[in-house]
Amino acid sequence: MTSVSTAAARKPVRWGRVALHLGCLAALLVMLYPLAWLLATSLKPADEVIASLDLLPSHLEWSNYKTAFEGVNDVSIWRLLSNSLLIAGGAVLGNVISCSLAAYAFARLRFRFRGPMFAFMIATIMLPHHAILIPQYIIFNKLGLVNTYWPLILPKFLATEAFFVFLIVQFMRGLPRELEEAARIDGCGPFRSFFQIVLPLTRPALITTAIFTFIWTWNDFFTQLIYLFDPDKFTLTLALRSFVDASSQSAFGPMFAMSVIALLPIVLFFLAFQRFLVEGMASSGLKG
Amino acid sequence: MPGHRTKGFCASAVALALCVLAAGCGGSGESVGGGKVVLRYTWWGNPDRAERTEQAVALFEKQHPNISVRTSFSGYDAYKQKLAVQATGGDAPDVMQLDYRQIDQYASGGVLLDLAKQKTVLRTSEIDSGLLATGRVDGTQYAIPQGRGTETVVYDVKTWKDSGVPLPKQGWTWDDWADTMRALKKKTGQPGATDPGQNEDAFEVWLRGQGKALYTKSGELGFTADDLTKWWTFTDQLRREKAVSPAEQTTQLDGSVENTPLGRGKATADNNWDAPSSGYLAIIPTGIALSPMPSGSDGTPGQYFKPSMFLGVSAHTGHAKEAAQLVDFLLNDEAAAKILGATRGIPVNESLREQTAPLLKDFDKTVADYQASLEGKLKDPPQAPPSGDNALQTTFQRDYDQVSYGRMSPRAAAENYVTEAKAELRS
Amino acid sequence: MTTTAIPTGEKRATATTPKRRPRRQREGAAWVFLSPWVLGASVLTLLPMAVSLYLSFTDYNLFDPPHWVGLRNYTQMFTEDPRYWRSVWTTLTYVVIAVPLQLALALVVALALKSMKRGKGFYRSAFYAPSLLGASMSIALVWRAVFNDGGTVDNLFGTGGWVNKPGWALLAVALLTVWQFGAPMVIFLAGLQQIPAELYEAAAVDGAGRWRQFVSVTVPMLSPVLFFNLVLQTIQAFQVFTPAFAVSAGKGGPADSTLVYTMYLYDRGFVASHMGYASAMAWVLLLVIGVVTAVLFRTSRSWVFYASEGER
Repeated sequence: MTSVSTAAARKPVRWGRVALHLGCLAALLVMLYPLAWLLATSLKPADEVIASLDLLPSHLEWSNYKTAFEGVNDVSIWRLLSNSLLIAGGAVLGNVISCSLAAYAFARLRFRFRGPMFAFMIATIMLPHHAILIPQYIIFNKLGLVNTYWPLILPKFLATEAFFVFLIVQFMRGLPRELEEAARIDGCGPFRSFFQIVLPLTRPALITTAIFTFIWTWNDFFTQLIYLFDPDKFTLTLALRSFVDASSQSAFGPMFAMSVIALLPIVLFFLAFQRFLVEGMASSGLKG
Repeated sequence: MPGHRTKGFCASAVALALCVLAAGCGGSGESVGGGKVVLRYTWWGNPDRAERTEQAVALFEKQHPNISVRTSFSGYDAYKQKLAVQATGGDAPDVMQLDYRQIDQYASGGVLLDLAKQKTVLRTSEIDSGLLATGRVDGTQYAIPQGRGTETVVYDVKTWKDSGVPLPKQGWTWDDWADTMRALKKKTGQPGATDPGQNEDAFEVWLRGQGKALYTKSGELGFTADDLTKWWTFTDQLRREKAVSPAEQTTQLDGSVENTPLGRGKATADNNWDAPSSGYLAIIPTGIALSPMPSGSDGTPGQYFKPSMFLGVSAHTGHAKEAAQLVDFLLNDEAAAKILGATRGIPVNESLREQTAPLLKDFDKTVADYQASLEGKLKDPPQAPPSGDNALQTTFQRDYDQVSYGRMSPRAAAENYVTEAKAELRS
Repeated sequence: MTTTAIPTGEKRATATTPKRRPRRQREGAAWVFLSPWVLGASVLTLLPMAVSLYLSFTDYNLFDPPHWVGLRNYTQMFTEDPRYWRSVWTTLTYVVIAVPLQLALALVVALALKSMKRGKGFYRSAFYAPSLLGASMSIALVWRAVFNDGGTVDNLFGTGGWVNKPGWALLAVALLTVWQFGAPMVIFLAGLQQIPAELYEAAAVDGAGRWRQFVSVTVPMLSPVLFFNLVLQTIQAFQVFTPAFAVSAGKGGPADSTLVYTMYLYDRGFVASHMGYASAMAWVLLLVIGVVTAVLFRTSRSWVFYASEGER
């Protein structure tokens, strides 16, 4: 979209660019306003957290952060952080591996019952998870896996998140077959074809899977709630809720502070990995 | 692209996998080496309560070196969900904190142990018999109350005094209360209190002031659609006069004190429970006070000493005796009582209550004084509500929402509610 | 379907016929790839799904063993429960508002970002930032503050609070979802990245202007991703829970105006302990979503284009 047109249309394009940037910035201001609110509220004193509808606190209440850093229930914030990281990291690994494997089978390989199995896979997204929560809990309980991290990570290694399988399938189907055909002529089997050709080409989808998995697992309060008992296994997201208790005095200020702290790792993760989304097809071997 | 990046990725992947394996394997299994009995104990509350409870538990472990207690807590809503899932899976903790409204369901579902069987280690003689009875279902003692609280009209002292409206006094009736609300509205320009129409607890107080009850002994509805219509017409009328909070404010209640009209500075008073009202102190530094709920027109008090929470033991526990010992400790031990203070409400053990009373400070003392002022004047608490009550509390709120937003008349909504309630209680 | 200068993968003269491995060997390979999924799907998905289907025909209060009641849950749902229908209506309204808005916004922003030269990474992260929060308790409180009486929206537009008015609260919930359009946006971006630059060059050489390029290159090449986003966002919208739960503090208020289907399901199943009824609700939802998705898949044949498979 670049080389041919810009030479002839340089001046008008610059105005267009300015307008584009201005528009994006304006949109951003609106978009990020609630986040600014979150940050500001984390520094508000207790009587202003809910009652005050102004954006800015009357004075900066840094003690909220101090309380948040002490962690909850004798578990330091670093422990909570590392627990969250462990679970999210494990989930990323699991999803990227298992979902890409399954997607390749659905997208590129032929086998009996492919159609119905694909339909079933899509159907698994359609059932609200509250409905299968109890039976799943019972299964994990019988396996003695409750109060460990297994119920949170193992399903990811078994491609249970059809969302990502479907995502990767769509990407793979969008890839031209020439490379794989060429490889097949050269005698490559499906395994080599997968690892050396398809997988590298699907990188945007894999990165997307990794990012989303990390964030969704990080924020997945309910599953963490029901499977983790010992407070030293708790995650940051879980500990956040302990600050708010309807039956006694809540600590909203520190809760907001902890929310901000909990945001940082996922922000960093996203910033680190979203770069790789840029290098999509540009340097891939399509022309090879 | 295969190359240096893939290698790095693979290496970190393997490292991660090993970590996951290590973490996943650790921490499962019931008994710690050394033949110790391990108990699981859970409760809900805020971090302050957690700290105190941990201290008390540590003391217990010192006194009983063969028992090790693993603790866990969360916020109230999260706790309820989690306990429900655990109980269903047969995995309830050995000792658990329970709400009044959970007793009936958990007891009849076979989740709770019959505590009378442990009476050698679990002493209940010092607990008021009326209060103790609330933990009984069909004559079996399934749970023991851990603290007691009662409802109150909590108000902002300065604003009320400044308005010149006479302060509430004991024995005031619902009519007195309504007039006071109107006067407050006139003098302060704001509603006097939260609209009590959506509050099933307030309705119960009103009912009991007339000698009626929410539920009968056999678990059926204890009132008629006429009663409910009267109540909702009463509160709706006050809402229209703006003497109590408008629908837009009332609908935002979420259980925390910060989200009440009083908490936002949009009303002078609120109907709440005594101990949780401590949350207002942080928001209203000029001070708050507790006053009794209104009584019926002939002076019958409607409120009662409600068990703020219970302790129960899992029916599937492998260590009934030790679990009972922990319960006994938390309820009856002097040192524990000192540590726990009033974090769960005023202690139920009567001699402990007297002992700890002088040690209570600040708001704990206010609560204790308030309860002492009502001692002997209130009627016995009702038995634990039937299990349908959990759902009905929300239905009550929802149906009143229709009234306060002007979508249904009080009578239509009341009839709706009664029909739903009857269906719910039957099932 | 316009096919200006788009190379199709299939039509190619092959001098040599590629060796085909025996069918059994190829199928065996497929099963190796599929084995984790098969294990996960059967034990962790199929089994619980079967149990939940069974439960939908029972009366199950989580504590006593379930007992069979046949179709009573279903008949009760459809004929005796006005709140059920209210939740259906609320959810449908939500889907119709939230999905198109969110997708349109995601697409527009993705396109804007793609054509940007500098600051792409910054903008991408910034637009994605709201989605990082999920619908945690803190963002719920922020949302309720911003959309309250005297909150920012009220101060800017003078509309009064949204979260405490029955007609408006659902809008606030929908906006929470639309605000978090980062996920579909990122997916669109990834899809746009995958479109080979030479297609645009070829189109430009043929004299196609920006708009024509968009219609003839971008849209068809992006259609698999667009389809994916449409299907997934629709499914997720039907199942919406956390934004509604967060904004209404779990109550579905005011006056049931934010009581979406899964919230009512949760209420019936976990609060009122009628797990059988909740399971029945879940299966009805599954059927409805299934029908909607099947329709989407059917219509996809006419507008979704897979580069590797030619025209379907």
